[in-house]
Amino acid sequence: MKHARLLLSLTLALTAGCAAKISLPLNDPQLGEAREAIKQARQADAEQCAPALQAKAVASLYWAAHEITEEEYHPDENASLIANAVRYARQAEAKAKKMCWRLEGVHFAFDSAELTPDSRTTLDDAVAKLKKARHIRVEIAAHTDSIGTEDYNLKLSERRAKAVFDYFVTHGIDGSRLTVKGYGESQPVASNDTKEGRALNRRVELRVQQ
Amino acid sequence: MRIAATMLALLLLGAAPAWSSPIAGPSIEERADILRTQLKGHADYHAHLARELTTVAEAEKAQHDIRIAKIFMDMAEREASKSEGEQ
Repeated sequence: MKHARLLLSLTLALTAGCAAKISLPLNDPQLGEAREAIKQARQADAEQCAPALQAKAVASLYWAAHEITEEEYHPDENASLIANAVRYARQAEAKAKKMCWRLEGVHFAFDSAELTPDSRTTLDDAVAKLKKARHIRVEIAAHTDSIGTEDYNLKLSERRAKAVFDYFVTHGIDGSRLTVKGYGESQPVASNDTKEGRALNRRVELRVQQ
Repeated sequence: MRIAATMLALLLLGAAPAWSSPIAGPSIEERADILRTQLKGHADYHAHLARELTTVAEAEKAQHDIRIAKIFMDMAEREASKSEGEQ
């Protein structure tokens, strides 16, 4: 019986060892440039607007982070993985900026879908752009930060997207070229833990439809 | 004594390489196939990342690092479960 207990303990210890997960050293200083490039791309909404490139960047970062933990680590070889992460992230950022126009300067009254007067300049610029590029269709995508309930934020973002739609239509844009979508707090581009991050997350974008 | 023998058998089975065990579950290749089939037509970020992580898992497997291959495959499957389909 004593032996059985000993074997049971050994079995459990080995099983626990097999189930152990590695934690990737994503904060390693060697990965700093790649981390920053991925963060910039994410803030340009690359996860939504250039998903394939952003995924390549993130996977390269994870792989490079894993390589750092290897016993026979070769910094020179890992440099190419890190370089890939940086390159893909920069491509993702550039593509996201081309495919998704952030309407910087569009603001709403607190807890409301009413556009503030200072939003007109940005919206008028967007109207001019849409009139120039007559062949494109866009989705008006509105987002909130995570303050408030998920359901409330979703509805608020839908009303805000609709307010921008109404502005465009009353300023001569054909409504059939536009679709409207509120995403609530579901697609943050920065941390909701800081004031600056929440400000980035409260946004309206025009997503060019392929 | 019978319990001890069963424990020993389980222990030996657990210590054997994953590919030699009849109860080891699907291989990396099988899991990769399932994931790619499941994500066919999905074009969102999570689907792309899941596919990329699967490629890493396969590369690690090719270098005989099964433990890391499994970890990347686990990560890929977690990402795949977040995918919402076509965009």
